[in-house]
Amino acid sequence: MTKQQFVLAVCERLGDLPQSVIDGSLDYYCEMIDDRMEEGATEEEAVAAMGTPEDIASQILMETPLPKLVKVKKESSRGLRRWEMVLLVIGSPLWIILLLAAAMIFISVYAVLWSAIVVLYSADLCLAAGAVSGFSAFVLLLMSGWIAQGFLMLAAGLVCAGSAILLFFAFNKITRGAVKLSRWIVLWLKSLFVGKGDKK
Amino acid sequence: MDIQLKRGLLDVCVLAAIKDKDSYGYQIIKDMKPYVEISESTLYPILRRLESAELLTVRPVEHNGRLRKYYHITESGLERIKIFEAEWKEIMSIYKFVVREGKGND
Repeated sequence: MTKQQFVLAVCERLGDLPQSVIDGSLDYYCEMIDDRMEEGATEEEAVAAMGTPEDIASQILMETPLPKLVKVKKESSRGLRRWEMVLLVIGSPLWIILLLAAAMIFISVYAVLWSAIVVLYSADLCLAAGAVSGFSAFVLLLMSGWIAQGFLMLAAGLVCAGSAILLFFAFNKITRGAVKLSRWIVLWLKSLFVGKGDKK
Repeated sequence: MDIQLKRGLLDVCVLAAIKDKDSYGYQIIKDMKPYVEISESTLYPILRRLESAELLTVRPVEHNGRLRKYYHITESGLERIKIFEAEWKEIMSIYKFVVREGKGND
């Protein structure tokens, strides 16, 4: 990929972002490519070192605050016609409620996701507590002469401890997945405000 | 490494790279390389963030018929490094405690 193709590819993916943001990032990457070429890299190599245009565009998008994206979207859309305004006002009891509902659903999904994770760790904590209780019961029962019951408690404690440790690693993986998922949701939400502005 | 922790560390690393002398993007990456590998696409948002926090300023300088941006650390930037040094002493003492406990259990 040449420098020009790279610039075009990034530009295409940034769509309606403020011109200053696009120019700033392209200036930066062009400078980096030029500096690498000055050190002896070929144009192809220098461009490849930047990463893919998709990754760069999504990173710029992630770093641009949502209010800025919304503002750009608002500015880039044409002014409202009178009948559209009337419709907006008349329809407000309906669309405001729908919008609120959509926001609530979104927040609920988020809350459910993270509650599920809290539940998973709580379950893990219970297992750990079970292990501690099992071991304590083992010692107490042995001291009171209940040998068989004591060993039963020891076995239960070991099972709890083993599951707590194994599940802890599994839950960690799930949490990492959830973090990725929420990043993806934010990116998707931002992408709604970019790239579709002026296509009529 | 925890992503927030790494983010904070990289911010200070970039400031440290321009502490003694103004520098430009590619040079910063090269200076940091022996200590921490950082890609162009990682550095860019950091520079933007540091600039908007007024921890550094940018000035274009002509170089071989094109413009190259040089980054200059501000007083607040130097202050940020000092804060990091103070915080780090605390983190190191926690680290020493953790390692000591680990050895004690062996």
